[in-house]
Amino acid sequence: MKKTYLAILAIVTVVLAAFPAFGPEVYYISFMFSVFMYVVLASSWNFIGGYGGYLSFGHAAFFGIGAFATAKVAAVFKLTPLLTILAAIPAGGVAVLVALIIGYPCLKIRGPYFAVVTLCFAFVVDLLVKNIEFLGGADGIWLKFMDIPEKMSRTIMYEVMLLLMIITLCVSWFFGRSRFGAGLTAIRADEEVAETMAIPAAKLKIQAFILSAFFPGVAGGLFAYYLTYIHADVVFNVNISILIVLMAMFGGGGTWLGPIIGAVVLTGVNEGLSTFAQAEIARIIYGALFIVVTIFMPNGIIDFFRKKGSSP
Amino acid sequence: MDAVLVIQSLISGIMIGMVYALLSVGFSLTWGVMHVIHISHAAFGLLGAFLAYSLLQYFGLDPVASAAVSVPLLFIVACGIYQLLIRPITRAKEVIVASMILTFGLAIILENVMVLVWKADPRVLTPAYASGALILGPFYFQYPHLVGFGLSIVGITALYLFLKKTYTGMAVRAAWQQPEAARLYGVNLYRISMITFALAVSTAGAGGISMALLNSFEPHSHNLWLIYLFLVVIVGGVGNVLGTALAGLIIGVITGLSMAFLPFQWVNLVTFGLLMVFLVFRPYGLFKQGV
Repeated sequence: MKKTYLAILAIVTVVLAAFPAFGPEVYYISFMFSVFMYVVLASSWNFIGGYGGYLSFGHAAFFGIGAFATAKVAAVFKLTPLLTILAAIPAGGVAVLVALIIGYPCLKIRGPYFAVVTLCFAFVVDLLVKNIEFLGGADGIWLKFMDIPEKMSRTIMYEVMLLLMIITLCVSWFFGRSRFGAGLTAIRADEEVAETMAIPAAKLKIQAFILSAFFPGVAGGLFAYYLTYIHADVVFNVNISILIVLMAMFGGGGTWLGPIIGAVVLTGVNEGLSTFAQAEIARIIYGALFIVVTIFMPNGIIDFFRKKGSSP
Repeated sequence: MDAVLVIQSLISGIMIGMVYALLSVGFSLTWGVMHVIHISHAAFGLLGAFLAYSLLQYFGLDPVASAAVSVPLLFIVACGIYQLLIRPITRAKEVIVASMILTFGLAIILENVMVLVWKADPRVLTPAYASGALILGPFYFQYPHLVGFGLSIVGITALYLFLKKTYTGMAVRAAWQQPEAARLYGVNLYRISMITFALAVSTAGAGGISMALLNSFEPHSHNLWLIYLFLVVIVGGVGNVLGTALAGLIIGVITGLSMAFLPFQWVNLVTFGLLMVFLVFRPYGLFKQGV
């Protein structure tokens, strides 16, 4: 059973990696790029939000910090394409640093209060970046993209994002099966009881928070380079924060597969709707989707099918 | 510092603060009593504002009079929404999360319906007295602001008296404090939840009208309003009506003063920074006592 599962995953990975070789249009490569990106975002949000039960509504902040850190470094030092892509990694480190500073006081508060404080945090970062010229300012930052045909450059970014997604999902896989993940699940169930059972709640929470900030930071850096122009309104958009939460919870928080399903389905639906319907109608259908899913699958898609499978 | 300017911005802060309070008080109740975080609360407020706009435009109905139409209308609509959408999710493992996702969807629907019906242009309510102002010595109060302020005071007082004096209101408070005990004493929790939800949505409608008398609005405004809702409710303490009113005033005064003395783009930064500090140090609000 486990072997077939791994085999399927290996095949999917190979197919995804080889996908650009089949000569699809650039549109599909771009679409897959954003799917991978949202899988990274939702899966890393899942560390603290899904397992730990601390719903961060400000994850776009880490995404944006990574984006601006990469863009700033690339613009100041006039980095080559390869170095710019690599600069996304220390940019993830910057996101981690911010997560550390913000996590200490904020992870002490629970439930909806944590959700609101992280939401505010994202707004504060957004406003700071917009108002302080050194950090990016109101004009945003332009980046020089690779000097090669569009399809080639998009394919390179596609493969890089795919790699980041695979790394994130591997970490997520081991995370879910580790004592670390189990400890966080216990914290979500009941933090007091978890602490009585000698689970170092404060330490685990901050570690999970840092981990969940790192990958979005790196993804933000890659995204900035991919767009070649970065503006605070794009990367700090509150809708991205909310979308990340919705993707993870929609699929099923606290599971490995849930955020992946959520990210793939919602990105696909979003794209499909905006292609085939008038913008407002598309948004209305999109909104209705959340309502229908919450009513019929209040605990996420994964939970719904698990119950279907177990009960005769 | 210019004393006149300080007092003027203090008074406009109090006015806008009272409006924030009316807009937030229902949000606080649904959160406190039902453990539902109603993300589309501000969108319903905006709906009230747009209804007032159309009634004024086509029938010449005064915004305050249009509250008499839209508040009962929203009450009925909210009862339906409770039965259809909110009640089913009270069975979820995590009601707060489920309610946030569901009402987020509802907010998207409302927002886009408003875009379809009213277009995405900024609007202002311009009743007959819109250009008039009350001038008291060096101070200056626009009539629409005074009317919005008055409507908010009436709204909050009415809700407070309802909760304190009527049997249903007491049942709502009981359900907030001790749901199990309330049920043992024969309170129908579902019915109380429905009434709470419908009351909250209709006060949001009235709050939206007041807000529209003070500021311009467009279909996306509810996102910013929602941030203020969270701010006011958390400073005031969840489920606490008087706390919400006081918190509204405090936040109104702070934004009023910072608008007078800070560059415009720093005002929101002050607001959000303040909320963060508040959440970290006093997440239960300024006051500990209940409804």
